[in-house]
Amino acid sequence: MITVQAEYTARFKEITQITSETIQLEQPHMAELAQILTTKYGERMEALLIDPKTQDLNTNGTLFVDSTGRRLFIDDTLADGETVSFMVGIAGG
Amino acid sequence: MEGGLLRVDLTTGTIKKERIPHALFERWVGGSGINDWLMWEHFLKHDPMCDPRSPDNIFIFGVGPLAGVGSGIGVKGRLTFKSPCYGIFGDSAGGGKFPYMVRFSGFDYIVVTGKAPKPVYLHICNEEVTICDATHLWGKGCEETHEMLKQELGDYPSTTHTLSIGQAGENQVGIAGVVSDGWRIHARSGGGGVMGSKNLKAIAVQGNGGVKIDNPNGLLEWSDDFRQKLDGNEAAYGFKRRGTLGAVEMYQRIGGNFWRNNQGALFRGEEVRSDNWVKKYHKYSEVCSSDCYIACDGRYKIEGHESEQAKKFVGETFRHPEYLTTASGAGAMDIRDWAEVAHWGKITNDYGIDNQDLSCSIGFIMELKQRELISDRDVEELFGKPQSLEWGNIEDIEELVKNVSYQTNPFGWLFRDGAYWGALRYSEQKGQNFMKYAIYGKGGASFTEEMRPFPTWMNNMAVASRGSDHLKGIGLIEKFQRKDLSKAYFGTPIAGDPTVPDLKGACTAVLENQVALINSYGVCLFHWLLDPLSYAPESYYGEAYTAVTGIDRTKEERMLDGERICNLEKAYNSRLGLRREHDTICERWMHEPCPEGPNKGRVAADMFEQVLDEYYEWRGWDKETGLQTRKKLEELGMEDVADVLAADNAIAGESRSGRAVHVEMKASDDPGIPD
Repeated sequence: MITVQAEYTARFKEITQITSETIQLEQPHMAELAQILTTKYGERMEALLIDPKTQDLNTNGTLFVDSTGRRLFIDDTLADGETVSFMVGIAGG
Repeated sequence: MEGGLLRVDLTTGTIKKERIPHALFERWVGGSGINDWLMWEHFLKHDPMCDPRSPDNIFIFGVGPLAGVGSGIGVKGRLTFKSPCYGIFGDSAGGGKFPYMVRFSGFDYIVVTGKAPKPVYLHICNEEVTICDATHLWGKGCEETHEMLKQELGDYPSTTHTLSIGQAGENQVGIAGVVSDGWRIHARSGGGGVMGSKNLKAIAVQGNGGVKIDNPNGLLEWSDDFRQKLDGNEAAYGFKRRGTLGAVEMYQRIGGNFWRNNQGALFRGEEVRSDNWVKKYHKYSEVCSSDCYIACDGRYKIEGHESEQAKKFVGETFRHPEYLTTASGAGAMDIRDWAEVAHWGKITNDYGIDNQDLSCSIGFIMELKQRELISDRDVEELFGKPQSLEWGNIEDIEELVKNVSYQTNPFGWLFRDGAYWGALRYSEQKGQNFMKYAIYGKGGASFTEEMRPFPTWMNNMAVASRGSDHLKGIGLIEKFQRKDLSKAYFGTPIAGDPTVPDLKGACTAVLENQVALINSYGVCLFHWLLDPLSYAPESYYGEAYTAVTGIDRTKEERMLDGERICNLEKAYNSRLGLRREHDTICERWMHEPCPEGPNKGRVAADMFEQVLDEYYEWRGWDKETGLQTRKKLEELGMEDVADVLAADNAIAGESRSGRAVHVEMKASDDPGIPD
């Protein structure tokens, strides 16, 4: 079992109503973290997190990174104590 | 498909109405593509080396076939001209209602040449066009100018929509923008300076005509499908409330922000890197045009209780600051309060000046002071009085905005064309080399995002036709680490890995072609960025373009259309003498290690030449000179352009005895330092 910190910004923060939380995972997999979040926060979280066409993490208009700034995909492994940031963003203007 | 073209010569007062034939849409798509061709043709008859502030320069407004037809992809109008600040090709996009109101008046393109003997504005009321006295508007900011024109011209046959310049444009400041309806700025490249040099204060339009659609039912079906796709895109909901502001927190985590003239890559102020903007100030979202299914624009009003600093701006209301207004205010100049950042956005819009270039000019001089490279006496010489030049001091910053906009002191004169030219002039004046503190890319254009860890982004800044720029190439694949997109585009995930140079030049080339298509359709970029594969401009958007114009194409042919437009912009710059050595970026980005964040230690120089070589290879251009080849131009059906370049000795491998235009790039006319 490992513990990760999930940080939410923008639309993720609106859905979760919190800015961060600690989550325990049985297996150190991003897939398990995504499953826990979709179960806990429902359809809108699932729509943001999962691309229905690929069943991988959604990449369109979103960015999920670890503490080194590396984008995470569904089959990535997470380290104990890792921070995962869930972001929605387009730059410019 | 045909379009309406209005030509106005302000020197003679001549007004001509012409038709843009179908064949021109077949070749140049519309929007920015046709703008580019109109400018190209103009400079076949006029000296391309002309001073951009002279009557010989051309000022074009154009709007693409998909603007204002109900597609839901948003609307962008485009200005095209020779840039007075960078001295090369210049263009700039802006949304709002002005672009489609031009179409409703019966025109798609407005070409202005010459110079009026006194301040004027152009009034287009359906097909009736009048050059009107603008003496009463001269000296006014953009918001007031818009309101006065609305009052003056009324609401019949439609509400009045405007493009106008503020005080910066009137004073021919090189980095002055053009503002749509008083609040949406076409910021880049200095279109405001060109309008000011022509004594053209504004263009006001009223129209109640329609737009001809080749296949109305097909367009309606497409538009309904697009709306449903966007409704199912959850990320779009976050974008609706924040616009591009969501990028602040995102860039904070990937090390993409720009702080204190890029001495850092992360914002410091707790408030400005938080989501407090939405909680404290956001009043309501709104559409910038009525042809957009997202509505990412928003309105703020400062009540005064939000922060200590907010008390200074009670009652102030405007558009919410976009990411780049925040990056220039909170980033480049380290303003740490949202109300002050919003005020920065409002005043730069009202004076009509590009806050990217201006913030890097101000950041440059603040950094010299911070490093004690200039003395209090130097500061007094620049400003005519003591000036604190403290980071984040909004009162100081507002004074500096006025200095440049009104051209009131040596600082204003030196930096009228942005940070590069200002730093160069000041270095020459002081006999010291301060260039390592100037932030710029091609043409001297500044940009306020961290560049060093992102090789495609870095390459975009070096090669963009209008100078250092984020909206020609887009850093979509590597900056957001989109290995899925990389696989779809190139069959390998490696373009989505920003730590290696592979396929980063290719990303610039391919995405430039796609962006050229979007800009030529006359729609917004943001919808595409929410799902780049599903909303691809060469296929999905192309179906909407076909419904409107009747011009059908395979996706491969559409990509060639985009490539042709990029090559025309390149050809114009080649005629001016630009070569490989001009495709460059500043010393800080190139050689100074990224100071912090997940990419600490990265420098652009590690990959720069390799990525640039690859870009030229994908473009089919000559790597040694950076020039186009006849072979590539002929593949694109641009033999006529190749012949012009050959006559100017501006094509690879063809040297002949005709006119040789190969000069050092320089600022338009040096303003000098008045006594």
